[in-house]
Amino acid sequence: MLAGVCSGIGDRLGVDPTLVRLAFAFLAFAAGAGIVAYLGAWALLPAPGEPSVSRRRRIMGTVLLIWAAILALHGVGLAGSLVWPLALVAAGLVVAAGSVSFGLSAGAARAVAAVLVFCGVLVFIGENTRGTATTLLAPGAVAVALILVLGPWAFRLARERDAERAERIRTQEREELAARVHDSVLQTLALIQREPNDPRRVATLARRQERELRAWLYPSTEPAQDGTLAGAVDAAAAEIEEMHGVRVEVVRTGDAPLDDRTRALVLAAREAMANASKHSGVAEVSVFLDADTKHVALFVRDRGSGFDPDSVADDRRGIAESIRGRMERVGGTARIVSSPGEGTEVELELPPEAGE
Amino acid sequence: MSRPLRRVVLVDDHDLFRAGVRSELGSTVEIVGEAASVLEAVPLIKELDPDVVLLDVHLPDGGGQSVIVQVAPERPGVKFLALSVSDAAEDVIGVIRAGARGYVTKTISAEDLTEAVHRTADGDAVFSPRLAGFVLDAFRSGEATADPELDQLTSREREVLQLIARGYRYKEIAARLHLSARTVESHVSAVLRKLQLSNRNELTRWAAQRRLI
Repeated sequence: MLAGVCSGIGDRLGVDPTLVRLAFAFLAFAAGAGIVAYLGAWALLPAPGEPSVSRRRRIMGTVLLIWAAILALHGVGLAGSLVWPLALVAAGLVVAAGSVSFGLSAGAARAVAAVLVFCGVLVFIGENTRGTATTLLAPGAVAVALILVLGPWAFRLARERDAERAERIRTQEREELAARVHDSVLQTLALIQREPNDPRRVATLARRQERELRAWLYPSTEPAQDGTLAGAVDAAAAEIEEMHGVRVEVVRTGDAPLDDRTRALVLAAREAMANASKHSGVAEVSVFLDADTKHVALFVRDRGSGFDPDSVADDRRGIAESIRGRMERVGGTARIVSSPGEGTEVELELPPEAGE
Repeated sequence: MSRPLRRVVLVDDHDLFRAGVRSELGSTVEIVGEAASVLEAVPLIKELDPDVVLLDVHLPDGGGQSVIVQVAPERPGVKFLALSVSDAAEDVIGVIRAGARGYVTKTISAEDLTEAVHRTADGDAVFSPRLAGFVLDAFRSGEATADPELDQLTSREREVLQLIARGYRYKEIAARLHLSARTVESHVSAVLRKLQLSNRNELTRWAAQRRLI
């Protein structure tokens, strides 16, 4: 009620000021600690409307609060041998924590704090040399004191190091992204600008770039790795795109391990894609792979000129050998559906292996 | 073929892409408005009340999904067709589950896109081969589910999806399976409905990744 200290504290802590007043009144009985604490709090709290208090008031307030704590501890009946060391340690901690408010550099504050805490420990040991229990306690007290003073400092160091590491990782990622964009995207754009009059070449470059970027951006949808059927189909499609300047759209569900049978299927599929690219006259070929560990089906379709499968010209013998022959040798089938003007579809199938 | 003129709003943050679509779309599709963000798109669509919204899956201030979520309750007649370069299954499935009637990739030909707009406006589902692949994957395993009606595809639906994945158009599928084009469309719509309502694990996982549920 005197200087608005109680309501100020209540405000800060979010408690009813009446409770704060009661606490001060109670402490006033403990050797007058409450009165000293009240003065200390008055010195520390800024008046309403002022941003902060002066450095002199901060130091004075802190000293008063520590004095109040000493009085209070005496008041509740603790011996001087315990109270004084505690007060010194407390003062040390306050200096260490509040170096900025006292206008000290962090290093100086740490030195002052260490001296204060050390003195506290020495007083504690000096006052309690008699009795084995206290001599046993002394080294522990030193350790606790060191941890209290140095702990926050070590913690801050560790945190700074973590932040540094996170920053380094971020920088690395940014560099990796920049490198990738530079190596691939910018190079491709430069190439396209140099050859703007060759639409086929431009399309091929753009398509290759798209494929690379996609594989990098959506790795989860491109689980196909080398060593699986889906990966091999993707690779074959990419090669055909590159060689013939067409777009090969691969859709797949499921996957299967790569073995002699599925490898033959990939080679047959590759041949079918190459045929479609060369002969159909259209710019897009659709590939659909439907696979599980037992059964594999692959479809290569174009909407191009088509042909009559019964009257295959001699130069198209490739179909018989490299598609049908290949599939039949591993126990699979190849079906070619085409008619002039209707496009072509090659269906490759591998049934479950006999004996499984 | 004479077709009614469709009013379309185009939502995409790339000017170049919008310009390309505008110049390519056939005479039966009229672009009545364009927006480059969720913030622009929502009031514009509510005001114009178009037949179809061509919606980019990725927008600078949120996904195409948030456009659907904000517009659909007030304008139930507006149909959404998602358009994206993304190959990520969760993007595709996410936007469908938010209510889009279909999904096509941005490399689609102008002719096919025009066709897709009409199909969307007619209330049919538009499945690109890639979307068909994702759906077959999602409904792949025969795991026991709470609601077989919603959680599993019929063998006919599977057949239709496989043909879409192989690059067949609806008309070609109808001819091949000896069905009417209308029947093929109803199968695809049924699949779309399952995709939107099913609680299958795969779908739930995708939806959860996109914070849809």
